[in-house]
Amino acid sequence: MRLFDTELKALREGIMAMAGVAEEMIELTIQALAEPSPAKAEQVNLLDRRMDEWELRLDQQCIDLLALHAPAASDLRRIASSLKIIPELERIGDHCCNIARRVAMVHPPILAGNDLEQLGTETRGMVRRAVDAFVGNDAALAHAVILSDDSVDALYGKIYRDLLRIMLADPLCIERASHLILVIKNWERIADEATNIAEEVLFILEGHSAKHTYLHGDSVE
Amino acid sequence: MTPVLTFRRSRTSKFVDRLMRGVLWGLAILFVLVLVVFVGAILKQGWPVLNLGFLTKMPETLDAGGGIKPQIFNSLYLVVLSLGLSLPVGLGAGVYMAEYAGKGRMLNFLRLCIETLAATPSIVLALFGMIVFVQAMGWSFSIRSGALTLALLNIPVITRVTEVSLLAVPRELKEASYGLGATKLQTILKVTLPYAATGILTGLVLTAGRAFGESAILVFTAGTNASAHFPDFRLTVPGETLSVHLWYVTSDGTLPDAREIAAGTAAVVILVLLTLNLLVRLVDRAIRRRTRSGLFST
Amino acid sequence: MLTPTLPETKPIKLSVRNMAFSYGTKKVLDGLSMDIHAERVTAIIGPSGCGKSTFLKCFNRIHEVSSTVNVSGDMLIDGVDIYRGGIDEVDLRRRVGMVFQKPNPFPKSIYENVAFGPRLFGVTDRSSLDGIVEDALRKAALWDEVKDRLKESATGMSGGQQQRLCIARALAVNPEVLLMDEPCSALDPIATAKIEDLITDLKENLTIVIVTHNMQQAARVSDYTAFFWLGRLVEMDLTERIFTTPRVQMTEDYITGRFG
Repeated sequence: MRLFDTELKALREGIMAMAGVAEEMIELTIQALAEPSPAKAEQVNLLDRRMDEWELRLDQQCIDLLALHAPAASDLRRIASSLKIIPELERIGDHCCNIARRVAMVHPPILAGNDLEQLGTETRGMVRRAVDAFVGNDAALAHAVILSDDSVDALYGKIYRDLLRIMLADPLCIERASHLILVIKNWERIADEATNIAEEVLFILEGHSAKHTYLHGDSVE
Repeated sequence: MTPVLTFRRSRTSKFVDRLMRGVLWGLAILFVLVLVVFVGAILKQGWPVLNLGFLTKMPETLDAGGGIKPQIFNSLYLVVLSLGLSLPVGLGAGVYMAEYAGKGRMLNFLRLCIETLAATPSIVLALFGMIVFVQAMGWSFSIRSGALTLALLNIPVITRVTEVSLLAVPRELKEASYGLGATKLQTILKVTLPYAATGILTGLVLTAGRAFGESAILVFTAGTNASAHFPDFRLTVPGETLSVHLWYVTSDGTLPDAREIAAGTAAVVILVLLTLNLLVRLVDRAIRRRTRSGLFST
Repeated sequence: MLTPTLPETKPIKLSVRNMAFSYGTKKVLDGLSMDIHAERVTAIIGPSGCGKSTFLKCFNRIHEVSSTVNVSGDMLIDGVDIYRGGIDEVDLRRRVGMVFQKPNPFPKSIYENVAFGPRLFGVTDRSSLDGIVEDALRKAALWDEVKDRLKESATGMSGGQQQRLCIARALAVNPEVLLMDEPCSALDPIATAKIEDLITDLKENLTIVIVTHNMQQAARVSDYTAFFWLGRLVEMDLTERIFTTPRVQMTEDYITGRFG
């Protein structure tokens, strides 16, 4: 195998490892939120440090590959997209920390049903599938991730309205509810980041941007 | 694990290297020595004879003390005439072969002819010249018979030198010329020939030297007599040259100082040839310098 | 074969339709069709022996100088067939200049090198020649470096200067098209960068076709890139497309270095 291919493979494996940490953080966040478990919340915080380390290392790998190998075509797209995927993963970690920090402040629960848990698991599913699409070069899966963002957004909207109603009904819940609004906002952001990753995967595989598709009609080029 | 190879140069290979260097040096020195001894011997014998009188007096037929003035003139005159005849032909043929003749059997055949002609012993050319010019044309022993036969000797050499010099012109230069919209003739005149000029001139001077020293051809075509007039530019009179004179006085033996005259003549021939060869070097260097400094423009 | 589809405002200067080329019985190029636009730089890339240099030389028929060749199909310049349109090949070479792989200045002065072409076409007037020489040297970004030593030999210049002199020499006969056959392969990176800048300047009023082994060079200087393989055109497109999203797998493999 050529040196370049070896290094490209190392980059890919690095991103997979970083994504693995992100998924672990999401899982712990969901659990910390549900139980509630300050210990697991603390674990999320510790894992964020590893995410930051990965980000620095993988960024450098990308820059080195660009500088030393002057990649073209799909190699270029993969590395350029990696440079965008890496910060998305890092931000997923940050959002998890934001949620974990509020674990103690949203209990006892004020929301009926399991909407909050569902939001977490749906978001987790999106991240997992976006990463799988990247690993498996699966364009169909990436498309599916982008489509499922709508359902997360809908769920977010529903919980948001529920929380507003709760706050109107009972002022004692306002503090917990406003923390919960921030929690669901962070979940929603994580889902957006999964969507972004999926869009980068499509760019790698198909060669044209999957973002802002409404602009494509009157493209200038 | 791959076995580790050690590369050590054997003592013998170093020794052989030094030995060969020594042998080649020795050969070179030996060669120079032979040349020095040879030229030295000729000059040593000829030096006492060489004086202004010897160079500027007419030859005697029976008495001692004759000079070689007309022979010097005839030698130079014949060289100039023969080169004048062979240069246009040789140059033209060389240009044709290098630039115009299509590669193939015809060109190879032509080349074979010219090489055969170049390798023909001069005595064969001499006899040819005698039969054709002296006898068949009825020109008898004369400057014109000599010059034409000598030209036959020169033409193949000049042709070959021209062809080789032209073929040595880098293809890139010709492409550059064609690429600018030059025609074939423009390219040959403005790029190829100027570039090949050094080689052609060198060959020309060497040819002149060879013609200058030639004897066999001229004995049979230009004769062994020199005109009593001086300078005699007529083409119809016999024209004995230095080399012929050298041979003639020693083999005829009527002159009491034949040995001295031969020695003096030989010295003159050697000196002229040395000068010519020096000239080749100078011309070569001058052209090289001019080419490099960019003044060699057409 | 794929050709670019974007709207192009510049007219077509050179047009090739189903062109084939052979030396004797050996077919070197086959089934080539492409359009080359005026005032654009078109790069031709491909592995050694793919016929790209041969193709380039077909545009000014310079290969006819040394060998007999057979060209079929159409090769048009401004709509007139280069081979059968009654164009004199000597006049064609004036219109379609060429810069070669190795700098090949004549062993003459800098001035005489540039004046060579105009002299061929009967310009003898000293002041006209001076003007042409200065203009060509300026266009080749060489004037400031050599204006005080025009009488010096061209062979004493650096390789990069020699190559720019060769470009100036080609420009002196006011060509419409400039063919460049790996013009930087013998130059160091600084000299290469100067030539590349020059190419970008020159395309203002020239059609430039460049053959290069250096894919980054093709990426840097050209507007269009054509990929040749085994005497055929595999893909031609806007350069940025070729280098980010080629449409043919073979092109992708070649430019990512996974060929063969």
